[in-house]
Parts: sequence; C-alpha cells; structure tokens
Amino acid sequence: MKEELHRQLDGEERANQLGEGPKTFSETDLPEELDAWGRLLGAFQVELAQSAPPPWLESRVMAEIEALPEPGRLKRLGNWLLAPRPLRVSPLLAGAAATAVLALLLFGRLSFPGVVQGPGEATVVYVQFAFEAPGAQSVAVAGDFDGWAGSHSLEDGNGDGVWTGRIPLEPGVHTYMFLIDGATWQTDPRAERYADDGFGNRNAVLAVAAPSA
Amino acid sequence: MASWLMSGSATYVGSMAVPAERTDAQVVRDVLSGERDAYRLLVRRYGGVLFNHAVRMVGSQDEAADLVQKALVSGYKKLASCREPDRVGAWLFRILSNLAKDFVRSPRRRDISLDRLPDIPEGSSTPFDTAHRGELRRRLQAALGSLTPEQREAFVLKHVDGRSYEEMAAVLDVPRASLKMRVHRAREALKELLEDFR
Repeated sequence: MKEELHRQLDGEERANQLGEGPKTFSETDLPEELDAWGRLLGAFQVELAQSAPPPWLESRVMAEIEALPEPGRLKRLGNWLLAPRPLRVSPLLAGAAATAVLALLLFGRLSFPGVVQGPGEATVVYVQFAFEAPGAQSVAVAGDFDGWAGSHSLEDGNGDGVWTGRIPLEPGVHTYMFLIDGATWQTDPRAERYADDGFGNRNAVLAVAAPSA
Repeated sequence: MASWLMSGSATYVGSMAVPAERTDAQVVRDVLSGERDAYRLLVRRYGGVLFNHAVRMVGSQDEAADLVQKALVSGYKKLASCREPDRVGAWLFRILSNLAKDFVRSPRRRDISLDRLPDIPEGSSTPFDTAHRGELRRRLQAALGSLTPEQREAFVLKHVDGRSYEEMAAVLDVPRASLKMRVHRAREALKELLEDFR
C-alpha cells in the first residue's frame, strides 16, 4: 500500500498536494482505493458493533472480590497513608491555624482549629440534544463526558425521525458526536464549533456555562 | 434554575445541584482504605468499555465477559500499584488489553467460535448484500484472527472505536509511531486477505 493512502486512512494531511512534488498515486487511483477502504472499514464497524455487557458481570466481579481475604489492618493503614489526597481548607480556618501555631511559638500552647470538607455537590446542566435521522433504529450521544461510550440514548417517541433526549453535563467545554445504530458516527451538523479528532473527522464542540447563582 | 440557550442542536433545558460522584481517584483511595464496595463504581464506569474491547479482540461474548471479570478482579488485587488513580480507567484497560492479547495468542483460541458472535443489528446497512453476511462475517473474523494480537488491537482501536493515535498512545502506554506501524501493517494484511471484498 502506498504511503499516501495510509496517510489518508490515518486522517492525516497529505505531504504533497496533487500537482506538487512526486505523485505516489494517480489522481484516479486514490479515490477508488479510499472508497474501497471505506466499504471495508464500514463492514468491520457493523460486524464489531457495540454490545452491552452481560447484566451479571458486576455481581460476579463483586462476589469474587468479596470472597477474597480481607486486607490486614497494617496493609490498609499503609495504603491510606501512602495514597495522595487533596485537602480543602477554608482561608478563615487556615488563618486560624496559622494564628494557633504563632500562639504556640509565643505562649507554648497549641490548639487545632480543624479541617472542613466541602459539601460535596456539583452542578450539572441539562442539555437537550436533537438529531434528525429518519429510518435509524437507535441514536445515541457519545462524547468526552461518557468516555465516547454512547451511553446516552436519544428517543424518537412519535416516529418523525427526530431523536431527542436530555443529558446532564457538568459546566465546561465538551466534544461529542451522534452514534447511529451503534455503528455510524455523525458529526452534529448544527454545532456552533468543531474540533478535529485527529483522524480526519470533526467532533462537535459544546460549551456548557455554569448557571448563575 | 433553568435557562434556554441554543447551541446547534444541543439546547440547555435546566440545571440542578446533585451530589457529586466520587472521582476515580477518590474511589481508588476509598477502596484502598477498606471500602471494598466502592470498587463497584469502577466496574460500572468501565465495564462496558472493557467488555466491548474484549469482544472485538476475542470474538466471543462469553469469553469476553470472563476476561473482563478476570481483569477487574486483577485490578482490584493490584489497585495499590496504580500510579495514577485519576486515570484508573486506562490502567484497567491495559490490564484487560494484556489479558486479551495473551488469550488470543493461546493455542486453544486460534480458531474463533463464530457461532457465538453477537448478532448483527437488524436494519444496519452495509454495502454488501445481506445474503452474504454469514460469509462476510466469517471472512472478516478470519482476517482479523490472522493479525498479531498487537495489530488487531491497534486496528480495532483506530478503525472500529475511531480513536486517534494520541488517545491510543495514552491508553495503551505505547509510542504513537509503534501504534501507527501496527495499524499500517494490519491494513496491509487485511488488504491481501480481503481484496475481493473491498
């Protein structure tokens, strides 16, 4: 296979534009080869379409883990001591701690004001996705927010070919695509922004703003 | 609070505060501190991705499920050695990847049991005549089975999962150039084997 074809299939730009420099493919060969590869890769994608893991997987894994002997206290303590962890301290309490240390230095006594953990809540924004795909059996949204697993299915309740669904997203910039019938990836044609995915396709980019207080 | 802002075909329809899910790093820490059941969160988060990769590598849902179970239990046992707890998903993927490649290499797995492959979804369109799907399936799986486990893995990640070389390098901890070479060689081999299907 010629390097030019590999570059195209890798989604990379051609080193030499047609008409410039030595040609590794004739102008007629390359589109035919790419077309043939498109058919073959499409067949692989259908053949190897995603499937859900068996429902018993989680219970079997956890049962096997539960059957393992409990780690000893020393091992757990070692793990706890060695594991890095973030600490969240309010400026007020940090100031109080500094004051206490100063008091210890000055008066020989120390008091610990303590450390407070945050409330443990995050904000999500519900985003409605819509995609027109008449004849599709299923449409899902896949993106960086679900590891590109396509775990958010859209629905076409009235059968008009418009698939919709609401997905909770954390504020931030996300990239996503639509996954048709579990096999065909489609870029959102109505996205405001796009980003190259590194292999010749474009991901849609969605900026989700944090709601104002 | 609800807001209605349009962005392409994605529309904001509202927001709410929900309890934050534990991050991967938090889950790893909690498991190592003795909260075994927290590992369930990692099984739920990554079980699907691992299972799909395993099916594509070994060609059988039953054997893929066994491999994923083995990988997840192995991950639990070795969790303390995970150097980047916030990337525990990639770490688990590498465990599965090694198990799957070993499995494919094993002599008893040279012949893939095609009967146990998942059914092709109804309505899915291919450029090929549906009457020839059985033959197509056998040819595609046999061609994949002829690749080395490394080539097969790289080809599947690149052309079935649609991963970029950068993503593949980050997940597999293999240099980008090596992955590119594996994909190129896989394509060369598949071209020879499936010339008449293209």
